[in-house]
Amino acid sequence: MCAVPSVNTRAFFSKTGRAKYISHLDLSSTVIRAMKRTKLPIWQTEGFNPRTYVTFMLPLSLGQEGEHEAMDFRLTEDVPFDEVKERLNAALPPDIRVTEVTVPKDKNTDITAARWRIDFTCDPDKLRRLCEKEQINVEKRTKKGVSTVDLKPLMTDVEIAGNQLMLTLPAGNSFNINPALLFEAYTAEYGEQVKRLRIVRTNIYSGEREFE
Amino acid sequence: MSEKNNSMMERLDEFLLDVQKPSRYIGGEPGSVVKDKSEVDIRFAFCFPDTYEIGMSHLGMKILYGLKNAVPNYWCERVFMPLPDMEEQMRQRNIPLYALESLDPIKDFDFIGFTLQYEMSFTNILEMLDLAGVPVLAKDRTGLTPIVMAGGPCACNPEPLADFFDFFAIGEGEEMNLEFMRVMEECKREGATRQEFLRRAAQIEGIYVPSLYDIAYNEDGTVKSITPKDGAPAKVRKRIIKDFDKAYTPDNFVVPLTGIVHDRAVVEVLRGCIRGCRFCQAGFIYRPYREKQIDTILDQTRCLCDNTGYDEVSLSSLSTGDYKDIEGLLTQLTDFTTAEKINLSLPSLRVDRFSDEVLKKITDVRKSGLTFAPEGGTQRIRDVINKNVTEQNVMDSVKIAFEGGYTNIKLYFMMGLPTETLEDIKGVYDLAKAVIEQFYATPGHAKGRPGVSVSLSTFIPKPFTPFEFEPQLDEDSVRERQRYLKTINTDRKITISYPSYELSLIEAVLARGDRRVGKAIYTAWKKGCKLDGWDEYFRFDLWKEAFADCGLDMAFYANRRRSYDEIPPWDHIDMLVSREFLIEENKRAHAGVTTPNCREKCSGCGVSKCVGGDVCRAIR
Repeated sequence: MCAVPSVNTRAFFSKTGRAKYISHLDLSSTVIRAMKRTKLPIWQTEGFNPRTYVTFMLPLSLGQEGEHEAMDFRLTEDVPFDEVKERLNAALPPDIRVTEVTVPKDKNTDITAARWRIDFTCDPDKLRRLCEKEQINVEKRTKKGVSTVDLKPLMTDVEIAGNQLMLTLPAGNSFNINPALLFEAYTAEYGEQVKRLRIVRTNIYSGEREFE
Repeated sequence: MSEKNNSMMERLDEFLLDVQKPSRYIGGEPGSVVKDKSEVDIRFAFCFPDTYEIGMSHLGMKILYGLKNAVPNYWCERVFMPLPDMEEQMRQRNIPLYALESLDPIKDFDFIGFTLQYEMSFTNILEMLDLAGVPVLAKDRTGLTPIVMAGGPCACNPEPLADFFDFFAIGEGEEMNLEFMRVMEECKREGATRQEFLRRAAQIEGIYVPSLYDIAYNEDGTVKSITPKDGAPAKVRKRIIKDFDKAYTPDNFVVPLTGIVHDRAVVEVLRGCIRGCRFCQAGFIYRPYREKQIDTILDQTRCLCDNTGYDEVSLSSLSTGDYKDIEGLLTQLTDFTTAEKINLSLPSLRVDRFSDEVLKKITDVRKSGLTFAPEGGTQRIRDVINKNVTEQNVMDSVKIAFEGGYTNIKLYFMMGLPTETLEDIKGVYDLAKAVIEQFYATPGHAKGRPGVSVSLSTFIPKPFTPFEFEPQLDEDSVRERQRYLKTINTDRKITISYPSYELSLIEAVLARGDRRVGKAIYTAWKKGCKLDGWDEYFRFDLWKEAFADCGLDMAFYANRRRSYDEIPPWDHIDMLVSREFLIEENKRAHAGVTTPNCREKCSGCGVSKCVGGDVCRAIR
């Protein structure tokens, strides 16, 4: 398929601040246009309407931030990774920053979990009580419909300090849990709306170790 | 160095996820210009009185944005009309309308400038001023700043908006904008008053300060006299850029983070139009016709694609097909776009210049839908409107299109053109039918069913055209002609649509309104009219009430034939095209006589005299 030799490349980046309002679909066109501006030799699809080929790992919901997001693309010529990083950062909007450019070790299907940091405005004690329950059933909406999921066994390394919650949840293309669901459970449990969450995905994992 | 207003960002963060497409309300796009406030002397809020998606597609805004920001101590920012969900949140939370670059409230800016692209955005202007916390009536504004001004094509009849604006910029803005900003710099330094600024601004060619003109009316409601005072000129003459090839052109665009209507690089290839179609305001008010050199266009295209990262570029003009060396331009341009894998799109190609070679060059790049605008159904009516297109031209063009694999054609027509009869309406159907037949008669046409979509809008007479004297067709006749066309159309391959008649009536009133119409605009807005250009928000009932409340008769403005010796409300605005020429053209229309285009023969419109003959001679 690929006519020229190419280097598989993975960039880790942050998407924070104003960039949290960029939807996943818009993120892809924003990044592709930035890549065009860099003039980096990034592989394009063949065919009638060639387009720059970039794969984004895990979509973030609109309004959520990410500190360690990943995207893959191919370079058709050797360019030092530091230079790739620099040129991308010069072209990207200020709130999208490339932190590292590297050779991918894991496949995107190897992603199993994500670490989240959430600043909340609701009652920390009530949240703690909710997290300590035997079962935390919530309705999860997918393309196939609505199903009930018990969050309890899926949440690991839960830490609550002040108005900040950290936890790890399953992530990946086949099964993904959005931390906002926990706050839907909170609303269901206490009948209180939870407003103004700041949800940040801080890391992604492949099994027990960081996704590389 | 980023001068982002952090407290405003925090306030927006509280609710932005509750509104549709929040990314259009936060700025931060690549290409947007952020300056250090402490080094800026003049701040300009460039307001487009429609949504982000529409405003961000507009080339004029990009030009003036780049032009002003190229001056180190001037900062121009963008402002758009928020949709109702956003506006409701802003009003609830007392968040005034802010500019996207700094997120600062625009009421603290030196200039609040609107572009007047179409009449149906007028109420949005009032809504935006009000949301900004700026008095909507010019007379209620005190202090030197903010000065509220406007430019753009609808400024050629500024009278309906005279109550709301401190001044209007008539004509091309590339030079004028910097001139009035310099006057403001002086006035701020000297601590001058608003009146003093306006008095000085009125001395700049192209600047119209409505408060410096008194209007008197005859008993029959027509304008009796327009009297300037305080040294304001009797005629405000529009500005033009004489050396268009060297006119300021931005080398970068603000590249939006979310989809907009025209999301691509745009390069202007020519300004003005040689054609002189008698219904077309743009064809007269943008005269004289000027082209950019091929090299200039190529450089600008390369530069824009490099800087924006767009993979699509479109050539912009009133009629790109009239470019003198269109074949040369497209050959060189497609060499570049093909090599760079960039799509080239060419809107507004006239059917009669749609040659085989040109079409092949476009289809080499990408296939898109095809639209032709014969405007009138019979040769007779096309001669009346001076749309020099024959049925044979249309057939030749669609034949090429069908050979190229197209199956669907859009045809644009107008209803209610001067001298129109049912025969001309029948001609619309006959032409659509002939296109269908042409499909089957074309060897090698694509498989599948052909389709013709006919759009038949109600003709709106506009100032500075030979039809400015004409009545708009009344509602009963419009409905009758629509019904007639419906009954004769028995072919299901032809679909006919009629853009809203009510909308075109209001547009007709606003287009040729006088200063008193401002009261009706104000009243309509007070009653809740806004986003009138959007079917789902347009409230004809409220507009009707507003005119009745103000004691104004819409028919007086829309449906009355105006005599040649009547003083039009825009008599003090000089768009360079002479009134004698417009009258002569009106007579020729009624006689069914066409006028050659500027390349064939000078028709003596008066522009040549004003700009010195060389600009016009270059056309031929």
